[in-house]
Amino acid sequence: MKAGAMALIVVSALIFGPPVVRAHSASDAYLNLTVDSGSPRGMFVAHGQWDIALRDLDFVLKLDDDGDGRLSWGEVRHHQSAIERYAYAYLSFSGDSGNACVIKPMRQMIDDHADGAYAALFFDVVCKQAPLKLRLHYDLFFAVDPSHRGIFVMHDRANLATAVLSPQNDVIDLTL
Amino acid sequence: MPADATTAAPPAPFRAPYLPSTDTEELQEVPSTQDPAVSEMKALRATLDTAPHSLPAAIQLAGAYVDYGRQVGDAHYAGYAEAVIAPWMAQARPPPSVLVTQANILQYRHQFREARVLLQKTLSMDRNNAQAWLTLATLDMVQGDYSSAGKGCTEVIASAGLELGLACSANLRSYTGQARQSLALLHQAEAAGGPVPASYRAWVQGLMAESAERLGDWPLAESHYLSALKLLPRDNFLLVAYADFLLDRARPKEVLTLLADHAQSDTAFLRLALAQSALHSEQVGRYTWIMAARFEALTLRGSDFFGREQARFALELQHDPQSALDLARRNWQVQREPWDTRLLLEAAIAAGQPQAASEALDFLQKAKLEDPIIEPLARRLRAQ
Repeated sequence: MKAGAMALIVVSALIFGPPVVRAHSASDAYLNLTVDSGSPRGMFVAHGQWDIALRDLDFVLKLDDDGDGRLSWGEVRHHQSAIERYAYAYLSFSGDSGNACVIKPMRQMIDDHADGAYAALFFDVVCKQAPLKLRLHYDLFFAVDPSHRGIFVMHDRANLATAVLSPQNDVIDLTL
Repeated sequence: MPADATTAAPPAPFRAPYLPSTDTEELQEVPSTQDPAVSEMKALRATLDTAPHSLPAAIQLAGAYVDYGRQVGDAHYAGYAEAVIAPWMAQARPPPSVLVTQANILQYRHQFREARVLLQKTLSMDRNNAQAWLTLATLDMVQGDYSSAGKGCTEVIASAGLELGLACSANLRSYTGQARQSLALLHQAEAAGGPVPASYRAWVQGLMAESAERLGDWPLAESHYLSALKLLPRDNFLLVAYADFLLDRARPKEVLTLLADHAQSDTAFLRLALAQSALHSEQVGRYTWIMAARFEALTLRGSDFFGREQARFALELQHDPQSALDLARRNWQVQREPWDTRLLLEAAIAAGQPQAASEALDFLQKAKLEDPIIEPLARRLRAQ
């Protein structure tokens, strides 16, 4: 009797079942940066588009106001400033010797990816002094989901640079 | 009521960023707070937030995340669980409960080697850790090391009790030509349990369905799949296994209904695409494009290798036997469940390269796997 009860406790605490369960892709965000070749003299300007999955934003910001499991455009729109505040707290740029560069949020749209709808955050990066190297620091979601990855692509005239941002690779230096 | 099959159709793949025209436009499904599992995770999160240093609270929340992620087939939750136990994993000597949770997360991501290291470490600290033995035995079965799995199942009986031990041994027998004994053991496992959780009963039903498939008893297999799904209606693994069963039985229409609400899961999406292809639907091109885009996203992030699904995609939807064979061979070096072996044999036949399957043929002979679909493939390759 006693042994049976013990076994039962163990059974209910264990994780059993099939091992091969891969389904949804894990969390990705897509960060695209295009260097503006027409920047005012001495300055550096780049245009960015940052696509962040709505379901990831819902996990941290609770966008689904009525809790029905469906995010409507109204709900997303209502939380746009919260999305902006949250996201830009985890992205920064700096120039050589620590010259700060600022992110200027421009607008938000929706972008469809193969695994769902994303908030598309458009922004400009502006550095008052054109740096030789631009340092990017990216921390989005790492504290709540270390398997999140930022897929980064930079276009600088004909040049293309790519990187996968992760907790182990959260700072990258871009040669301009 | 199952949703209309057409709702599974995904949005058009090509579209520039846009502003929806009305507030009511639905953009994305998310876990509903009306779902009891979601509100339970929320409550466990609140408990941990009030006691952030409580190991039991962290293990409970991480376990709930892993369970939910497995059930709905969503890899995000493995990441959430990892974040919850990260402070303990960072310690010089993480407690066994943390090591084994991290091992389960790694196993879920197919990082089998890394998972094994953590399980061995757990067992060196806690020789009777039932979860560690069970996960290790499962890993051995996935990777085709059946003698090691047998030892693991014995340890499961010693550490976790008879119900789990019987299910473990039964699972093993279904891979080694003893599907009939497997079914008998599973009936014992079913009867042995008192009020066990639905997930355990569903697991046993799913194993029974697999064993019945090994024997070619399709009505029996189907009845067990349906019983399992009655217990866990949205379990991603069961849905996909049953969908594969239906595809093999040339019943693709039923796959569209079965998986209509699960198009977000990549494994389910592949089965929807295969069903569309079997029906010669106009949607095939779109499904194939989206599936390719999802694999591409996985490659971009440098993700774990999704070999089984990618090989099947290349073989059946891209009609590229050479790529399918390369993927199936690479996958087979990591995992050797019947489906992995089957895909390797099918790809070797399609590519006209029987020698590429020789190692798998030896493996089949040694394991004595019985399977009415795999056996004819093996015979055909041996004859070439």
